[in-house]
Amino acid sequence: AAEVFLRQQRAAPNLRKLVYGTVVEEEEEEGEEDEEVGGLFRVSRPEKGKRRRADGLDCSRFEPDDSHDWEQEEMLASIRDCFVTGKWEGNTDA
Amino acid sequence: MASQGLTYDGCNFFRQRLILSTLSGKRVKIRHVRSKDDNPGLRDFEASFIRLLDKVTNGTRIEINQTGTVLFYQPGLLFGGTIEHECNVQRSVGYYLEALIMLAPFMKNPLRALLKGVTNDQKDPSVDLLKATAIPLMKKFGIDGDGLEIKITKRGMAPGGGGEVLFTCPVRRTIRPVQMTEPGKIKRIRGTAYSVRVSPQMANRIVDSARSILNQFIPDIYIYTDHMKGANSGKSPGFGLTLIAETLNGTFLSAEMVSNPQGQGETILPEDLGRKCAKILLEEVYRGGCVDSANQSLALLYMTLGQQDVSKTLLGPLSPYTIEFLRHIRDFFQIMFKIEVKKPNEEEMKGGNKVLMTCVGAGYTNISKTLK
Repeated sequence: AAEVFLRQQRAAPNLRKLVYGTVVEEEEEEGEEDEEVGGLFRVSRPEKGKRRRADGLDCSRFEPDDSHDWEQEEMLASIRDCFVTGKWEGNTDA
Repeated sequence: MASQGLTYDGCNFFRQRLILSTLSGKRVKIRHVRSKDDNPGLRDFEASFIRLLDKVTNGTRIEINQTGTVLFYQPGLLFGGTIEHECNVQRSVGYYLEALIMLAPFMKNPLRALLKGVTNDQKDPSVDLLKATAIPLMKKFGIDGDGLEIKITKRGMAPGGGGEVLFTCPVRRTIRPVQMTEPGKIKRIRGTAYSVRVSPQMANRIVDSARSILNQFIPDIYIYTDHMKGANSGKSPGFGLTLIAETLNGTFLSAEMVSNPQGQGETILPEDLGRKCAKILLEEVYRGGCVDSANQSLALLYMTLGQQDVSKTLLGPLSPYTIEFLRHIRDFFQIMFKIEVKKPNEEEMKGGNKVLMTCVGAGYTNISKTLK
């Protein structure tokens, strides 16, 4: 049983780390110096990476995943049990 | 640093920061707001948002530098009461309403806000969607009673606006902890197809095409058609659809789609819009969970501010906005959630992986609420 548990631990990505851990790494990425040209002008790099995220659009909408093709029978079947018309578990009853 | 409050860079997640700052009483400073942009500083809609916060609070101090790239915000007391706000048309009323919904239960006086502007646009959750999903969610946290309502008196489409929405919300001393781990099966699908300043037939065409897809799953579908005329129809033409799937346990999953604003982008046929919207709803069902993806952060906020007890909620995949919200909750309230992945059984066909969020509430009490 311990082995199964360990395997499960490895398989499941640690979401807690993903959410709370990555902040530190992102902060480290900063410190990008502007290049100087001719000692007078600074090249303003096009906004990228962290910058773009920092000035991104403040919006709570979660864009749907385009990879799912809802024309396909398999995709339709994959959510069939979410509806009352689908299969019911043994211990529950309509 | 502690006396200075928290400092952030960039204008993203602007609302989250100001909302959490207002609730926690911590000062916040936002630097480098579009500092490398051709048009630097705060936009009109953000300024409008700050004005709205100023209206619902007492004693808020706001300092903005000349170019608008640095904002210092010292929150005051949440006062509430009756307010009227002209929302900037760059963002829809949903942008402002989302924030008010988060703040409203913690005010001194029950909030009665009349918001004017764009009711439906492509960026933000529309007022229809919030009305159908956020209100039932609030009820689960013990925020209910006569006063809780979102009413659309006038509809206004982008870019002209001209809509009007009335939001009323009672105040609560504490928020109830919740245990939402079983979403339940979907028993019916409801929706609203609306059209303004176009042929009322558009709404019927949307309904037919959306039904053609959803009827494969469930027969109990009813989509209202809402055609507003004259002064109630705002300044710009447009049409759209909001779909809501309701489960046996009272979970509401939603999807919506709006036509492109007049003069921007290609015109979309109402049939295509209906079909696309139905597919977005299927995607939302695939994600699943007890809270709709647009309201994840609202649920997590109420969980954080609940009594000192364990709250559990099953969510679909976390949206990027929610992930950032979790980080901000940690910054402002020092609360971290326990996040567990729940894989569905092989033989069950219930969509993708779910996430179980668990936390102990901060024991936040609304001290400004008057006792009666």
